[in-house]
Amino acid sequence: MQSVALLQNHIYGLHYATTFMKNSVGNIRQPVLWTLLVSTFLIFVYAIWITFNPLSSDKVDFNAEVRPILNKKCITCHGGVKRSGGFSLLFRSEALSVNESGKRAIVPGDPHTSEMLQRITSDDSEERMPPEGDPLSEEEVSILIKWIEQGAYWEDHWAYIKPQPVKVPETEAAWGDSEIDAFVLHRLEHEQIAPSPEADKATLLRRLSLDLTGLPPTLEETRSFLNNSSEQAYEEEVDRLLTSPRFGERWTALWMDLARYADSKGYEKDDYRSIWQYRDWLIKAFNEDKPFDQFTIEQLAGDLLPNPTDEQRVATAFHRNTMNNDEGGTDDEEFRVAAVIDRVNTTWDVWQATTMACVQCHSHPYDPIRHEEYYKFFAFLNNSADVDVPSESPNLTTFKQEQDQQKLESLKNWVIRHTSSADDKLQKAQQFVNLVRVTEPKIHPSVFDTIANGALRDGKYLVVEDGGFARLSDVPLKGETQLLISYSANHSRGKVEIRLDSLNGERLATWNIEKNQGGWRFEATAIPIKSINGKHDLYFKFSDPKKEGEIATIEWLLFHEALPGKAQPQYQQQQNNLIALLNNPEVIRTPIMVDRPERFQRTTHVFERGNWLVPGEEVSPDVPQAWPALPDGAPDNRLGMAQWLVSKENPLTARVMVNRLWAELFGIGIVETIEDFGTQGAKPSHPELLDWLALQFMHEHDWSIKGLLKQVVMSSTYRQSSEVNPELLELDPRNRLLARGPRFRLTAEQVRDQTLAVSGLLSEKMYGPSVMPPQPEGVWQVVYSGRSWETSIGEDKYRRALYTYWRRTSPYPSMIAFDGPSREFCVTRRINTNTPLQALVTLNDPVYVEAAQALARQMQQSASGVSEQLQFGYERAIIRDADQSKLDQLETLYQEAQQYYRENPEEITKMAGNDDADLAALTVVANVILNLDEFVTKA
Amino acid sequence: MNIYQEKQYRELQLETRRHFLKKCTSGLGGVALASLFGCNLDSSPAASAPVAPFPTNPMAPGISHFAGKAKRVIYMHMAGSPSQLELFDYKPELEKLHAKDCPPSLLEGKRFAFIQGVPKMLGPQAKFYQRGESGMMISDRLPHLSTVADEITVIKSLHTDEFNHAPAQLLLQTGSARLGRPSFGSWVTYGLGSENENLPGFIVLVSGGKTPSAGKSVWGSGFLPSIYQGVQCRSQGDPVLYVSNPDGMSGDLRRKTLDAINHINQKEYQEVGDPEILTRISQYEMAFRMQTSVPEVMDIEDEPEYIHEMYGTEPGKASFANNCLLARRLIEQGVRFVQLFDWGWDTHGDSRNTALEAGFIDKCNQVDKPMTALLKDLKQRGLLDETLVVWGGEFGRTPMQENRNGKTMPFMGRDHHTEAFTMWMAGGGLKQGFSLGETDEIGYYAIKDRVHIHDLHATLLHLLGMDHEKLTYHFQGRDFRLTDVHGKVIKKVLA
Repeated sequence: MQSVALLQNHIYGLHYATTFMKNSVGNIRQPVLWTLLVSTFLIFVYAIWITFNPLSSDKVDFNAEVRPILNKKCITCHGGVKRSGGFSLLFRSEALSVNESGKRAIVPGDPHTSEMLQRITSDDSEERMPPEGDPLSEEEVSILIKWIEQGAYWEDHWAYIKPQPVKVPETEAAWGDSEIDAFVLHRLEHEQIAPSPEADKATLLRRLSLDLTGLPPTLEETRSFLNNSSEQAYEEEVDRLLTSPRFGERWTALWMDLARYADSKGYEKDDYRSIWQYRDWLIKAFNEDKPFDQFTIEQLAGDLLPNPTDEQRVATAFHRNTMNNDEGGTDDEEFRVAAVIDRVNTTWDVWQATTMACVQCHSHPYDPIRHEEYYKFFAFLNNSADVDVPSESPNLTTFKQEQDQQKLESLKNWVIRHTSSADDKLQKAQQFVNLVRVTEPKIHPSVFDTIANGALRDGKYLVVEDGGFARLSDVPLKGETQLLISYSANHSRGKVEIRLDSLNGERLATWNIEKNQGGWRFEATAIPIKSINGKHDLYFKFSDPKKEGEIATIEWLLFHEALPGKAQPQYQQQQNNLIALLNNPEVIRTPIMVDRPERFQRTTHVFERGNWLVPGEEVSPDVPQAWPALPDGAPDNRLGMAQWLVSKENPLTARVMVNRLWAELFGIGIVETIEDFGTQGAKPSHPELLDWLALQFMHEHDWSIKGLLKQVVMSSTYRQSSEVNPELLELDPRNRLLARGPRFRLTAEQVRDQTLAVSGLLSEKMYGPSVMPPQPEGVWQVVYSGRSWETSIGEDKYRRALYTYWRRTSPYPSMIAFDGPSREFCVTRRINTNTPLQALVTLNDPVYVEAAQALARQMQQSASGVSEQLQFGYERAIIRDADQSKLDQLETLYQEAQQYYRENPEEITKMAGNDDADLAALTVVANVILNLDEFVTKA
Repeated sequence: MNIYQEKQYRELQLETRRHFLKKCTSGLGGVALASLFGCNLDSSPAASAPVAPFPTNPMAPGISHFAGKAKRVIYMHMAGSPSQLELFDYKPELEKLHAKDCPPSLLEGKRFAFIQGVPKMLGPQAKFYQRGESGMMISDRLPHLSTVADEITVIKSLHTDEFNHAPAQLLLQTGSARLGRPSFGSWVTYGLGSENENLPGFIVLVSGGKTPSAGKSVWGSGFLPSIYQGVQCRSQGDPVLYVSNPDGMSGDLRRKTLDAINHINQKEYQEVGDPEILTRISQYEMAFRMQTSVPEVMDIEDEPEYIHEMYGTEPGKASFANNCLLARRLIEQGVRFVQLFDWGWDTHGDSRNTALEAGFIDKCNQVDKPMTALLKDLKQRGLLDETLVVWGGEFGRTPMQENRNGKTMPFMGRDHHTEAFTMWMAGGGLKQGFSLGETDEIGYYAIKDRVHIHDLHATLLHLLGMDHEKLTYHFQGRDFRLTDVHGKVIKKVLA
């Protein structure tokens, strides 16, 4: 066999060489040059032949050997953006087809007729590819020859092939009980590096506690663990922390970056957004360990589940965290489209670690996604009812007052009672509950296509004067009998007639305008309207006998069925209830996803070059072809899309989530670019481990995040000491090989939370509207919006960081200093920095000074001797004993501070809060402890 | 080897931003092509490595792509956008059309923030004169600037894509109308580093009582490491947030606390060997130096009386004049990028404050003298050659009078306008007494030498010695640029 292969290769080599020469000759005019070229060429042929020796005749690995060459040297011009000469290497079918030149760049099995090889080896600088930069090396050329010869076999990028069962490797040494350790050790043995010993118990507990709950252990917890010599001691701690309510808060903080959660809408006005119920949903979901597939489906499409619960609807606020532009004169459609684009990109960032944003304007430059596929996916998300209006409609309304809930209940019962038995009473009742609580499908004035003697105020609200009219075209009516109108009017004068199909068409309704709160406060009212079916143009004719200018400002319209039971005595009261509930200010509103009903469904078009003003071909919802199709039976809407993401056939979802969790624990992902698993992303450091964990996550843990986290933190890999010696640091500066434990700075949230925790100030209060802990005067200087930063009082001053009011254009300063993002867009990875501004926060921010005071008080109460007090402070914060030299440093400082306060007694109260000089000196020391590297670092 | 030498040694060992920049900007034949694409095309492992930055010294002075004349920038953003038709773009034809209906051809297919229906044309609301040797037109609203006309370059043919404040400010300051991209100042600081170890490399000063519409994102670092974000220095309260010691702690005592922190951290380093600890020690030292240097540089009391007179400054007050003087002081200290935002230029004419005949004149008076003083002061100190000074708003204003909701307004005002506006620049590598570009007869369209925001960015980066196509940062799978896939250097303004 071998000799045959050799012979074959030899023949191929020569054959190829002769054709190649013929081709080259055609381009050569100068004999001298010709000779030179021929001799160079013969060396080259020899080089190719050498590489074709039988020992290397194994199959070429497309992903490992070929793709890197194509991506590095070719795909710039022959990829998804440019297809120079009609040649693209994005998909095999394209790569093998005939190009503009009439030739085929790649002819499987036949290198010598493959134009690509002729061009990359050409000596003619006009011909040679790539046209700029270095030519391909001999090795690269020989790989391509071999590859084409073997049939130009194509292989999907690793991340697009679903994880295959992996065998846990055998290792020489015995280390760790976990399969994870076998994968890690296997690699370490290959590199001839030994893993590190287990971290000391106190360090380990602090690490574990910060990782699982975002907070350090208490002294009691530490002591109890240190004194527990049982073999299960560590596991008991793991289980304790996994069931702590703090667990959900810690992991919610991570997900809030992905969800781009903020308490404001962004853009110029950046006004308040009430969306904290979604944050609370996350905390509960993590705490109850909602399986990740369900967690995903509820956030992306909870509203489309059968009979969705309030919680499932609130979960969909995930995609209502997109920005909303309230600035006057902006085009709502432009910003609605921007929000949908953000939803597409965020979905792909979070669940697929795929840079879908590239595809908005053109096919992906190097990953197998076509331009139109972006818009097919866009179509899943393009039918939601939100349209960038200031009310952020649709919202889910929850009544704060019991009596209002009762009114709603009474309304519901009324509908049930007065719905004829033929109808589905419950369904009808639910429709009215939805009308009150969600109030869709609204028609917003921006869709009036003709307005005479009137205008769209701020591009959003309809304002018309006497004699004016506004037209709605092609309204799909289905016999509705009532029209809800949300409006404001400063006077009771004028009326509106609604005419069918022309200005003088049949009159469907007359509305005499009544003064309401006026100004910018809108209120809904109901008018009866003649029942009509089918698509019609509706003309709204305004008249005002006094002709005194604007008659009313209209916010939205909604056609619906009137309440049943019209003939009953209590009818009017129920009708009043309905309107009162719609206008009730005592509510919590949370923006949610609601799809437009079929008759209002939007069509989706490709946007040429990504420009929403240039719609191209119409598309329907679908997923990119390089991915598995929608699962059987999945609807082709958002719900189907969500089911597709968490289908076990999806190659990326589990890997991406496992990698994200891993990165949280180890500071760096198995795939470092946790945001990009595509061909340009980093390669996994332990590919088999990643796949093994992904399979475990789906099949063994049934998508349980707690299950997976437990598996990882139980491993010896995780439990290693993070100390590093210069040799190892040199070999593996960034700990990719995992021969030591993780050591990196805490997140912005953890820096705050830990400080409050060890000082004893931290409030354990959970949930509710975001709070405003102290921040310096003048940080909130905003253009509009009457809102100001009103420092919270009581325990709300000391809540965990995730409850801090997050204003996009002016985020909480200390959070930003520690690399918190502004949350305008999904941030899949925070980049850790180390800056002087961080030092200024922990040294001088009054929040941190107050914490130092509180810690000092604890220190003072802990013992009578100074040395013991200092030891206590250190131990409380760092969770281990201070060694003597550190203690000496603290003691020296304590004495210096004491000296200072003795000499400057007027300074004592300022520092200590009372006139105790010792406490002032302790506060100074506590301030130091709260600034130590070991304090702000997880080791 | 002491701990600081060791730190330096470690820094050399580890990948720094400079290596990264170099790698991204040289030796890759595909960079120019890649830039046309919008997504990174280099698949070498080296290119993906730096996405995990190791910011051992990210502020080290950077490497230019070529010798740039300008080393520093003072960027004066007049938030709200001053009217070019009352300052630099003289349109006698518009005068003739004053109070006439706007021709429909100018309105078709156009969108304005507030103009509705058919507005009236509004003639220039100021008197224009030829100034200096060059004879460029500057109105009597800016008498001081008029005296240095021969120092400046005026571009009258700018245009933008956005007609609302926030997106237009973002486009001007970050190259994108959407939030999330690094600001111009961040890019420059990322590219060139800082020349001062005691002060941030990018400092922002705000006047006019409010921050810009687009909020702090206009000096944010976007996806660049946060060390490159603009640091707002304030005139009231701490000049930099948390720069003052807490009450009851003296500078000496703070020094002692830092010694204790650093000693314990050093001990920790000896035990665990993590080089990040060394970085932390050096960052704490810089924080301490900032505690002295920031209040020092921000305190303008020590300036001589003639300087205060020249700028019209009043110590202790938040004003544009104070900020101009501060800008000079910061530049003197080697701060790379000083950004001034002055709020209150949105002259719609819907109130006295926004009236061309009232509030606008006040605004001009507030900025004219100090910005002129800044130019003169930089020049007399020999700093103007190396400093790029830029002045302007985020868009222009319409030749029509605003008629909000189709109504006549109580005052003279103009709506937002994207098709033409003016900026002036001076210093490092620019022509002097030069005017680029022309608008049509009524100042509606820029018709000659049109300059888009991306072109402005490309040109400013060029003056700083950077190629806008090579100043890239790899993020979420692609190389990003300030100019995205656009921008060309305006050669005509280069000296």
